[in-house]
Amino acid sequence: MMRPSIVKVIRDLKTDYVKSLLLVLAIAIGVFGIGSILGGYAVLTREMARNYLGTEPADATIRIEGGTIDQKLLDGVTRFPGVLRAERHATVSARMKVGEDWYPLLLFVIDDFRNIRTNRFTKLTGAWPPPAGTMLVERTAFRVMKTTEGGSVTVKTPNGTAKTITVSGTVHDPGLAPAWQEETGYGYITLATLHWLGERQGFDELRVSFAGSEKSARAIEGKSDAIAQWIGTQGYRVHEVQIPPPLRHPHQGQMNAVLTLFVVFGFLTLLLSAILVSTSIATLMTKQVREIGVMKTIGAGSRQIAALYLLMLLIVCLLAVVPGIHLSRFSAGMLVQQIAGLLNLEIIDASIPHWVPMVQAAAGVLIPMAAAALPVVRASRISVLEALNNFGVSQTRPADSSLARLRILGDTFTLSLRNAFRNRSRVMLTLGLLAAGGAMFVTALNLSEAWEVSLRKIYQHRHYDLEVRLAYPSGSDSLIRRISQLPGIKEVEAWGYSPTSFTEGRRYDLVHTYPDKGHGSFMLLGLPLPTTLVDFPLLEGSWLDPGNADGVVLNHMAQAQAPLLKVGDPVSLSLDGRPTRWRIAGFVEDLGSPASAYVSADAFARLSGARGLTNMLRISFTSRDRTTILQKTRQIEEALEKEGGVVAKTIPISMLRTAMGEHMEVLIRSLLAMAFLMAAVGALGLMSTMGMSVIERTRELGVMRAIGATPRAIGRLVVWEGEIVGVLSLFITIPSSVLLSAAIGRLVGNMAFRTPLPLTISVHAVLAWAGIVLLGSALATTYPAWRASRITPREALTYQ
Amino acid sequence: MEILQRPVVNETGYEPEVLIDVRGVTKSFATSYGEFAALKGVSLQVRRGQLVALTGKSGSGKSTLLNMIAGIDRPSRGEISVAGVSIASLPEGALAAWRGRNVGVVFQFFQLIPTLTILENIVLPMDFCNTYPRRERRERALSLLDRVGIPEQADKFPTALSGGQQQRAAIARALANDPPIIVADEPTGNLDSRTAASIFELFVELAGSGKTVIVVTHEKDFAGYFEHTVAISDGVLLDGATVGGK
Repeated sequence: MMRPSIVKVIRDLKTDYVKSLLLVLAIAIGVFGIGSILGGYAVLTREMARNYLGTEPADATIRIEGGTIDQKLLDGVTRFPGVLRAERHATVSARMKVGEDWYPLLLFVIDDFRNIRTNRFTKLTGAWPPPAGTMLVERTAFRVMKTTEGGSVTVKTPNGTAKTITVSGTVHDPGLAPAWQEETGYGYITLATLHWLGERQGFDELRVSFAGSEKSARAIEGKSDAIAQWIGTQGYRVHEVQIPPPLRHPHQGQMNAVLTLFVVFGFLTLLLSAILVSTSIATLMTKQVREIGVMKTIGAGSRQIAALYLLMLLIVCLLAVVPGIHLSRFSAGMLVQQIAGLLNLEIIDASIPHWVPMVQAAAGVLIPMAAAALPVVRASRISVLEALNNFGVSQTRPADSSLARLRILGDTFTLSLRNAFRNRSRVMLTLGLLAAGGAMFVTALNLSEAWEVSLRKIYQHRHYDLEVRLAYPSGSDSLIRRISQLPGIKEVEAWGYSPTSFTEGRRYDLVHTYPDKGHGSFMLLGLPLPTTLVDFPLLEGSWLDPGNADGVVLNHMAQAQAPLLKVGDPVSLSLDGRPTRWRIAGFVEDLGSPASAYVSADAFARLSGARGLTNMLRISFTSRDRTTILQKTRQIEEALEKEGGVVAKTIPISMLRTAMGEHMEVLIRSLLAMAFLMAAVGALGLMSTMGMSVIERTRELGVMRAIGATPRAIGRLVVWEGEIVGVLSLFITIPSSVLLSAAIGRLVGNMAFRTPLPLTISVHAVLAWAGIVLLGSALATTYPAWRASRITPREALTYQ
Repeated sequence: MEILQRPVVNETGYEPEVLIDVRGVTKSFATSYGEFAALKGVSLQVRRGQLVALTGKSGSGKSTLLNMIAGIDRPSRGEISVAGVSIASLPEGALAAWRGRNVGVVFQFFQLIPTLTILENIVLPMDFCNTYPRRERRERALSLLDRVGIPEQADKFPTALSGGQQQRAAIARALANDPPIIVADEPTGNLDSRTAASIFELFVELAGSGKTVIVVTHEKDFAGYFEHTVAISDGVLLDGATVGGK
């Protein structure tokens, strides 16, 4: 015969199955959340190492100017002390025609497809190596290039004419961000194909990997500098050394932001579940108080009572942990796929390590047990007399007399108000539960909206619609005049741009750019003053002054690269490989741009030796709709070609916005999923505690029925009570969500984009949560109130 | 029956003549109107095997006195000794264990655990106090049900039983650990007179088998069942402090 105390535990769970299921669900959600995050994290970090590091990314790329790297130089670098691998390479920023429009295309020129030693990529299908006059395409680029394997695409290099090239195969390059996020095509060609496209250059990049385990940026800089100096002695001029953050994928920041967000919300979900468990156990103990009294009367000690209820909770936890772990495997898999897409990873092994379910099981048992410990211990230590005298009709506290005097909405409302505050510990827990759930729900939507606000800022502070980069500087006056004559042009400004870096006394640019030439780049931009096309918000100091020739304004991304710089500090920036001296006028927030330093166009032209010339135009149109911008872009390109300008790249603002939006798609989707999860847990908690609050007062409601209360009056009384608690929780929810939004917005924004997300309060989120709370309160209380109002006074009075 | 014969002994092995010794017990409660004394210096001695009725009006203090004897409540002042053990000084855990082994409590509303069958309700005290080997508990519970006249109800849940049957089951549960003392607080208050009479007959039988039975009641019609009646009014006993002799 099973011990009756254990039988009681099992039967109590079965009898109160709705409550038990809610508890199981609450804990399962927490276990599920932790498993999804940890499982995803474990798989992604493992696969990231396999994928990205498996490509053997070069520690440094040394760019040579005005020459071709011959085999002798390559051999010399390969033999250089400390060099593990060296390879020559070229990357050409070309353009491709998609439909009627031209888009950026990066062409990676490979020395020997059969022996790629750094930044390896994998052949998926097609020819290997690509025959001359054809190219391989990265798998994520087909979506942008709107072509297929075997199809063709029209390509134009800076010095060539438009040529149609066949796509002869598909590759996977885990070292690159997905092409669709960058709105750029990725092609892999031989040097012969590059020459066929009209370029005469040879290999101008040396990709170098160093031996040894020390992969700090500082150590790599030192080793690269030694090689650069040696190359200088061989008759070559080193123009630039690219050292991307070691061992970090270009989208590592975004992945960290997403995973951090998941960890924060996962922890909060578990906290919410713990509060729910604590509330539920507290109400369960209240309901069972007389049984506790009876058990103590027949000889049970406090420890035995506590053990019984902890056993009950243990069963609930085990019931929750099993499905929680299993379901989290699916969600972790989905999360992995989402983030793998963001990082262009190929998941070879999706298995979740064993430690993840072990942590889930431990958290799913220990955290609810810890949360329930206080109510269980408190209830188990109740005296027999107190327990036996509990008739479900609580005593009124003296402080309630002030509530008794309130006559806001009639006697029923007043009674509801007093009832709501009668069991203060429970009402505090219920308020805490609702406030926590609500704050997380509103925060998730606030962050989502904050991101939208950030995206809108791209338009708000950029008053131009199109940026045109030229392959070579051209006469600015004639270009401006020509474009201004086109219909629908509002403003044209001639800017100058050049890759740059903080020189620190070097004779070459030291940049942190990745091989895609976009991620981690740093630009020096010369703009006419005053400009009407940008007005970035100042973070510190002042904007450029036409009278201050050596003033420079750094954007927040550049500031992040040199965080010790202050307004007024001198700074040396490279321009065409030469150091130029500037003084910092201010810092601006410049969302959507890479690291950038803004100086006056006059100073830029003077120092670059390109007076009267421009290599960048920024143009605003009278209409900002997408169709007009695309149409105008085509007209401008034609006009520039007629004027002798060679367009290297056109960047409509909409492309910038799309690229940024795509980067954070996973984050936004995750936030929305979190919001719904929070709403579900919060609503469950609300329904659970409110429902229990009514059930445990069945006897009291019976007394009220006995003295003449109608079922409708009882229903109204109880529903009002739920609504009062719901409304009160909103007063905690809203300020909590503001604090939480600010904290998480700062954390995630800084991690992903080096700037906090703006604090945004989503009115829709607040209203939606208020609706959930009020509707949930009404639903949670209506059914038990209806049930309670239908039992006879006699049944109610004998209710245990 | 043998199962009802286990004698109560204290730690020294001495079996006292006076089983329950209440001396100068006062019980006060703090209320919003000031302190209220439910018992005022009550002294009472009850010997083994006596069937005692505690009578009095509502609020007279009879239930409070019963709770003191059962170890459910503690006196504000005074001393309560049961079988030589001063129960007022026992810590809560020890008091619960003592109560489980020495006092069987019968309530007005039966207070059977609704999620357990009648048989399981009776095994439960043995489970908590670990008084009988596990394999014997079921047999003992069935014997007790047979003793109180409802053996066929063993596997039913309390709600399936009549009030009288539930009270018989509650008495069987009170006897589960073979305690020397049975206390009952208005055990027939929720029963019809015929059923109530059968319950009182059961108490008489228990006292006859050596149990000390104290019953709080205000049903004068059944006074004849008791060999001793202690009347209490406003927290004071109206007659003698020692209840007869056997």
